[in-house]
Amino acid sequence: MTKRASSPILRSATTRKSSSNPNRARLYVTGGTGFVGREVVAEARRRGHATTVATRPASSGRGDPGRSSEARVSVDLRSRHGLVESLDGVDTVIHLAATKEGDFHSQFAGTVVGTENLLAAMTNAGVSNLVAISTFSVYDYLHATPGQLIDERSPIDRNPALRDEYARTKLVQEELYRDFARAGNQVVILRPGMIYGPNNLWHALLGSDFGSRFLRIGRNATLPLTYVENCAEAIILAAERISDPDSALAGEVLNIVDDNLPTQDEYAIEVAAHIDVPPTVTVPWPVMNAVSSAIKATNLHLLHGRAKFPGLLVPDRLHARFKPLRYTNARAKRLLNWTPRFTLVEAIEASVEAEANSRSTRHSAEPLVSFEDRR
Amino acid sequence: MSQSTITKPDRHDDIRDGTGDERSFTDDISLTLRAAVVGTGSISSEHLTFLSGRSRFVDATPGRVAPVAVCDLSPVSARYAAETFDVPNHYTDLERLLEFERPDVVHILTPPSTHVQLASLCLEAGAHVICEKPVAASIDELEALLDVADSCDRKITESHNYCFNPAITDISRLLDDGTLGQLREVEIRIVLPVTDTGGRFGDANLPHPIHSMPAGVIHDFTTHFASLLLHFTGHVRFHRAAAAWSNHSTNPLFRFDDLDALMIGEGPDGPIHGRFRFDAGAGPDTFTVRVYGSRGWAETDLFQPNTRVVIPRAGGSQLSPIANHVANGAELIRNGVANLGRKVMQRTPYEGLHLMLDETYRALATGDTLPVTNDDMRAVARLVDQLLEEKTRL
Repeated sequence: MTKRASSPILRSATTRKSSSNPNRARLYVTGGTGFVGREVVAEARRRGHATTVATRPASSGRGDPGRSSEARVSVDLRSRHGLVESLDGVDTVIHLAATKEGDFHSQFAGTVVGTENLLAAMTNAGVSNLVAISTFSVYDYLHATPGQLIDERSPIDRNPALRDEYARTKLVQEELYRDFARAGNQVVILRPGMIYGPNNLWHALLGSDFGSRFLRIGRNATLPLTYVENCAEAIILAAERISDPDSALAGEVLNIVDDNLPTQDEYAIEVAAHIDVPPTVTVPWPVMNAVSSAIKATNLHLLHGRAKFPGLLVPDRLHARFKPLRYTNARAKRLLNWTPRFTLVEAIEASVEAEANSRSTRHSAEPLVSFEDRR
Repeated sequence: MSQSTITKPDRHDDIRDGTGDERSFTDDISLTLRAAVVGTGSISSEHLTFLSGRSRFVDATPGRVAPVAVCDLSPVSARYAAETFDVPNHYTDLERLLEFERPDVVHILTPPSTHVQLASLCLEAGAHVICEKPVAASIDELEALLDVADSCDRKITESHNYCFNPAITDISRLLDDGTLGQLREVEIRIVLPVTDTGGRFGDANLPHPIHSMPAGVIHDFTTHFASLLLHFTGHVRFHRAAAAWSNHSTNPLFRFDDLDALMIGEGPDGPIHGRFRFDAGAGPDTFTVRVYGSRGWAETDLFQPNTRVVIPRAGGSQLSPIANHVANGAELIRNGVANLGRKVMQRTPYEGLHLMLDETYRALATGDTLPVTNDDMRAVARLVDQLLEEKTRL
């Protein structure tokens, strides 16, 4: 997949060392073996925190091997079984786990019921500090004006019936977070934009697969991106501060995006310089917007809103992915004292390098794979 | 569901606090049947769509049924379902629901292993019960439940939803009017990738409750198989049966993932053969029903309805095959277009469920016989038990 050998990455500005952190805590990370979770656990380790990684029973063997500072508990958040016990000795919970696959009910069970069970267990276990990971998807993009600044005060979607399952379930999840905060707990809600990184460079904010080609929607919209390691650092900074009454972080909602956000074209060109990307067909945003709006009007007026079309033809979903808007991370930077360490170029190069390392590791490990595992 | 509605005050809390108007919902519609739903999994959307008058398969019949409450162990699930379908109350405790709401009908949509206990509770509280399949794990459990219903003078029925799909009704009509001749054989085939690890049955993290049933995951489909066969044959006793229950995937999560069953019974007009085939490894997803008569045969796919009828046609034996090709080709083209429309308009294979619920509520309102009777449920349970008996197994 790598198109050009990644040059040695100058990471003098980005290299991080283990620190003797005065705010050391026992962090409990759900989704700790996932795309973001692995980086969050690694960042927690670098900053000297002990972590408890909650993994689902069938995932227990995945991810990094356990470290002395890292405990693993096998729980499925959809069940209350063992959750309270797993939180023993925990200072702060970082809740990353969510279900992004399957039908609405599967995602509701994994994301919403899972959160409900976790928060109930935290209450029973006396754990009151929560770093709640939400998403940029909760905002109301349909009614946003093109070019508008999306920040933490922007309205969330109050009529998400036509949004995708992920947005709908994350909106309900945020309500649970707010209920938990109203009950007297210390909660900060982080809303990351599109999190990119290894094996996730060519993503849904650029377009969609369309047969053998990739249909790109628009060229000039700013992408609300955050590189996975930048995002992980913001999450750990939030975890360190949420228990500090002087930080005034409890009750806050923070958007997590990187500095100097690229446009769709800028990002696509940079990614294409490093990896093979599929052949693309680009449709201008105004054209796609007009087509989807016409289809929605037809559906509402002639079909009583009962017809279901692919997501790109539903304005509520199209706007959430491709509408030209502006974004800011000012609040997160101020309250977390956070500066995204990786620039776009550094992040893409680091991702490509990580992908290459992952492939070589898998290749060298192949002789150890059993016959059964290959089937 | 709007974001604002999820935060609407829970009327149930008002009731518990003694500050709510606990009977106000029925004041103006006291002649309607008050319905409650227990369990908010995926099938609940179909039941609640019907109860809330939003079904696209049956005409809305305001005043005949009103959903009054939803119950689920998960508070947020109960609340979300209630808000989405404009149901006034939601609970996490069925006994409290029965006490405060006094529903006329309760839909039990929880995992099968809970059906008998929850149904008994509802019957004893004076509610009729509409239960998702399988209502019980065996004929003995079913008989005990029917005794409870009798002693409470309440009715209980099981979802035999596919028997009410228009495609099945069409084939029944071909049998009834003699087009297919005398019934000889019914073959039902379901192809579904239930062993996929990303699917709801293949999830090893939190195994689906259906795995605890005698036929494992296939128990989720045995009611469909048996009810459809018996729908065509009537309550024929199959005196010879053989069933190969297999786990071809060897996934230890699954008791069985494959069924090949053959049944032979004596119908009023001669022997009748039944064949069930469940295959988790083939593709694509299929639910075919093929009915052979002495004059011809008909088949349909309930997932992509297209009824093919092969019968003697004008032109005699020489031209009938060609006439069948032409007629079925035209039907295939017509259904290809229709199924595209069905997909866009979100018409799912659950249309039979809506039609069954509609008939059930009509019967409950008038005191008529329910469309799925106690004897229908007994015949299905007996046949499933028969296929699971050791002496039947291949």
